[in-house]
Parts: sequence; structure tokens; C-alpha cells
Amino acid sequence: MSDPIRNITDFQLDVLREISNIGAGNAATALSKLLNNPVDMKVSRVLPLHFNDIIEYVGGAENIVATVFLRIQGDIAGSMFFVINTEVAKRLIEDMLGTLEADDFSEMGFSVLQEIGNILSGSYLTALSDFTGLDLQPSVPSLAIDMAGALLGDGLMEIGRSGDYAILIDAEISIRKLVQQIIVQNGGGHFFLLPDPDSFEKLFTALGVQNHGSS
Amino acid sequence: MSAKILIVDDAAFMRMMIKDILSKNGFDVVGEAANGEEAVEKYKELSPDLVTMDITMPEKDGIAALKDIKKINPAAKVIMCSAMGQQAMVIDAIQAGAKDFIVKPFQADRVLEAINKALG
Repeated sequence: MSDPIRNITDFQLDVLREISNIGAGNAATALSKLLNNPVDMKVSRVLPLHFNDIIEYVGGAENIVATVFLRIQGDIAGSMFFVINTEVAKRLIEDMLGTLEADDFSEMGFSVLQEIGNILSGSYLTALSDFTGLDLQPSVPSLAIDMAGALLGDGLMEIGRSGDYAILIDAEISIRKLVQQIIVQNGGGHFFLLPDPDSFEKLFTALGVQNHGSS
Repeated sequence: MSAKILIVDDAAFMRMMIKDILSKNGFDVVGEAANGEEAVEKYKELSPDLVTMDITMPEKDGIAALKDIKKINPAAKVIMCSAMGQQAMVIDAIQAGAKDFIVKPFQADRVLEAINKALG
């Protein structure tokens, strides 16, 4: 059986990068409306990574992060994560509520993050669905604050079932107001899209690039 | 004579999509560029009637490229085409001289409407 990930061409990787730019760009727009602050976005990265290296890429298994996770179902399947450092998460909550968060997250603070996660993932997926014409149904996003290894492990299990490698599609956003203080050293927030390996072909077919070679 | 268009986007796929829409509707796509730096070079070389310009790109972003192109030709017609549709970004682009702002993902009609309006 051919490995769907190894056969992906450079042109198709470029398509995945653009998918990420469009999804994250729309999500950044939604976030900027919510926060009333400009939100910047970097050019997306598309990385074929070994299963074990994905958590390392996100900052190491023991790094404490806030993560909104959802599964995508419908015409294609995959996992989506929005990952932010806890310090950045606290800043976001303070911006929204106007009150300082204590060391532990308050119930209201948790709810703010949950809602931010809903809005971001919703706008990302809506854009992706409009772009591809595919029906994409998100599961209810779940928010957790824990070590990256614990949080990402669950979502990565699906991928681990069908191969050792996954394609990680990463878009980084940062809120301009926070730049001087926190975002720079903590790397801002990341959208990670991890299509299940058998979804790539459907995705490329939907966009009419299933037969595009790299040379 | 059909209008000469320069397409600027870092994604080859997006360039292909826009080119397809434009070619089918009688426009002449004279060139493509994959970043802002290249866009400015190609603009000088080709003197297109209109440029479609992505914003988030490596090397030089689309807003910086728009400003450079406007320095070369203050009458240059540039339409921004980006997934970053937030107000501050749109205002930035329009103030720098962009004719219109298309948010990705887009419909072919929206692209044609913007181009026809800008050229009209």
C-alpha cells in the first residue's frame, strides 16, 4: 500500500500552506474584532513530522499550555488545535474581562478562553470549507490547560493509528498589543491542523490538484 | 486590447486559481511573483495595468510592496487579496493606495468585479 504522506508533492505542500494561511487569516480577523486589537500572522509552515517530534515542536511534552482541541468530521477528517502559552492566555482574559487572573485560572477566565477557541476554530473551518467546498463539521471544541504532551497525545492518537508520520500545518498569530511584553518570547498562539492521512487525497481532489507533480 | 495583470501570491496554487479566473475572462496575465520583493521587480519590468497582491508573504509583505509600487508609479492599480480581512489591515492597504480589498476565500465573481471596477 502506498503511503499517502510520502507521495505528497511540493506543489501540494504549497496548497496546504495556503489553506493554513486562509484559515488562520480569517481566524485572526475574528480575533481582532473580539479584542479590538490588530492581530498579526506569520507565513504558515507545513512540516511532515514523525509522530514523536510533533509534541517536541509544540514546545516539549512538559510545557504547560492552554489548548483548544476539536475533531473535524464530514467530507474529510482531522484534528485541530489552537495552542497558547498560559501567560498569553492570561493576557487575553485580562483584555476581555478587565480583571487580573490569579495563578489558577478563574471559571470566567476559562470560559473566555473557551469562547475564543470556539470563535477561532469556527472561523478557520468556515474559511477552509468555503475554500474547498467540502462539508467540515467540527466537534464541540474542548479546552484544557495542561502539559502539552498530555493534551496533544489524545488528538495525535488518531494519526498514530495509521502511520508514523503526520503533516503538521502550523500558523502562528500574535496580538500586536502584547508584542512588547509577552508574545515575543513565548511565541504567540499556534493553529495546528493535522488532517488524518487518508484525508489528503480527498482534500487535493476537492481543490483539483490531485495530480499535480512537483517538478 | 485586454488588460495586463500581474499576480502576486506566495502560494503557487493561489496564483494558478487567480490566473485561471482571469484568463477565462479575457484578461492577459503577463507575470507572477511569489513575494513582495519579486512583485516590485516584475512591476518595473512589465508595467502591468493592474496587480493582485497577497499580504502575508515571505521576504517582503504585500503592504510594503504596494507602497514601493506606488513610489514607482503613483497611479498604479493594486488590488489586495488576503485572508487577513481585519479592519486595520484594510485601512492600511487603502491608505497606502490599494484600489480594493478581496478577502480569501473568494468567489470568482468578486475578483472580476473588483478588477473591472478598478480598471473602469
